[in-house]
Amino acid sequence: MSAKLEIRNLVKRFGGLVATNDLTFTVEPGESVGLIGPNGAGKTTVFSQIMGEHRQTAGTIALDGREISKLSTPARIRAGVSRTYQVPRPFADMSVAENIRVGLMPDSVWQMISVGPDPARELELALAVGFSEDQLDRLPSELSMGDLRKLEMARTLATAPRLMLLDEVFAGLTVGEIAMISDVIQKMRGEGMTFLIVSHDLKALEPLVDRVVAINQGTLIADGSYDAVMADGAVRASYLGTA
Amino acid sequence: MGLRWYHFALWIAFIGVMFALPEYVSKGTLRTLIFANFLAVFAISWDVLSGRTGYISFGHPFLIGIGAYTSAILTKRFDFPLEASIPIAVLVTMVGGLVVLLPALRIRGSYFALVTLAYMELMYQLVQVIRPDLTGGTRGMSGLPTLTRGAENGFYMSTCLMLAVALSTWLLMRTRLGTALSAIGMNEDAVSGSGLSVTRLKMVAFLFSAMLAGLGGAMYVHYLGSIAPRALFDINFVFTIIVAALIGGAGTTIGPIIGAFFLTFLLEYLRPWLPGAERYLIYGGVALVLYMIQPKGIFELVRQSLSKLRRAT
Repeated sequence: MSAKLEIRNLVKRFGGLVATNDLTFTVEPGESVGLIGPNGAGKTTVFSQIMGEHRQTAGTIALDGREISKLSTPARIRAGVSRTYQVPRPFADMSVAENIRVGLMPDSVWQMISVGPDPARELELALAVGFSEDQLDRLPSELSMGDLRKLEMARTLATAPRLMLLDEVFAGLTVGEIAMISDVIQKMRGEGMTFLIVSHDLKALEPLVDRVVAINQGTLIADGSYDAVMADGAVRASYLGTA
Repeated sequence: MGLRWYHFALWIAFIGVMFALPEYVSKGTLRTLIFANFLAVFAISWDVLSGRTGYISFGHPFLIGIGAYTSAILTKRFDFPLEASIPIAVLVTMVGGLVVLLPALRIRGSYFALVTLAYMELMYQLVQVIRPDLTGGTRGMSGLPTLTRGAENGFYMSTCLMLAVALSTWLLMRTRLGTALSAIGMNEDAVSGSGLSVTRLKMVAFLFSAMLAGLGGAMYVHYLGSIAPRALFDINFVFTIIVAALIGGAGTTIGPIIGAFFLTFLLEYLRPWLPGAERYLIYGGVALVLYMIQPKGIFELVRQSLSKLRRAT
């Protein structure tokens, strides 16, 4: 269930803007790493490059030693990496169960036609992220932001990832919802899932990560334990706005 | 796949009512029903691509035209029998349409709609200038072999076609493929982010849609026994197909059928009072009011009313 992510000398340029600047870091199998940085630091762009939604200008991205940066997004997902989005992207006219169903689908048209859905697995995934059984028929419009984040996690989990990228997973959540999502992440960590988590809520992030990577303007400025990175002068200057 | 006994009961009832109609209605009404059946086939075909995936095609007559012209040319100019010309026409529509329109599936939103519209206009111009000895040029072709004779036989033929198209589409769209296609219409990026190859799925939707359009086009031309480019590659024809699907309920199979019947009969019954183009004003008004009441169409309106009734009893 774990995977190793190696990012080497990653560069992404949008015209004159350097969004990722020679970035190198590794996430070990089963490790949970926080990716932090001020607004516009390029955290989501790193996620987009890992998933193949943006192609990097230079550098390599390897999953368990296999170079994945030439693969399409669906192929990367089949290789074992999946992400959630800062703004949840549910299928608006589909129930919670149907949303999860899309994540469970094989990338084969023939199997989509010949094999029916698996309600037991849909329920299992819904329960795994903290939904109750009676919420399966709910539409996304009837869900709270916390539930939408859970739905996003369930659909991501449905693709059977070994590495999960969570983007601003606590944004817009109440204290109770943060605790609920944290419990889900801790449970998955216990089962060996590898995580790379972007969050502005550092307090919520702290108990969930083994290590923190800090970036600013696409450049790595610190990599180490949570306390060490928080104490780092460059991080404080850029991220917290104090020297 | 969520199939229930009442689904089949409703289909059987629908089929029963359709086949009983010639006993009770006039020949004139049967002829109107034939057009409604063909419009339903075209609207279902449009809906598989546009209603589900959200890729709005303004050029469906382009696909219908490939099917219609291929079969017309094969039978008229090369003496092909209908049994051969129609399947060939369907294949040519699928392959020809794919070659031309596949690059367009990479563009999104209004650009896709514009490209498809351009293809329809292109086809209209091409059939007039390229080999008019084959296509019949601006005048089209007449005296084509027909599949049936008389209103009753035409009705049975078109009803069988519409039911076969509707039932096969309904069954296919109830599989996970249907769910995936609808998901593309709701959020294409999230489908890709769920590990599915969106381009392949769109291609499948397009091929199925083209197959139905080609089949409908080829059979329609051999019902009429003639083909005229201006009637086929006409913006009013495009709008009639789209409005039929939308007014009935896009993203469903039964919706386009309801819409096609509603529109055909609305236009037909308005004819004695408004013989000219003013009828389209009324039909535009009716469509507008319906959208304001229920943007998801008549099918959703009926479904909501039924569930309200069920809750009340």
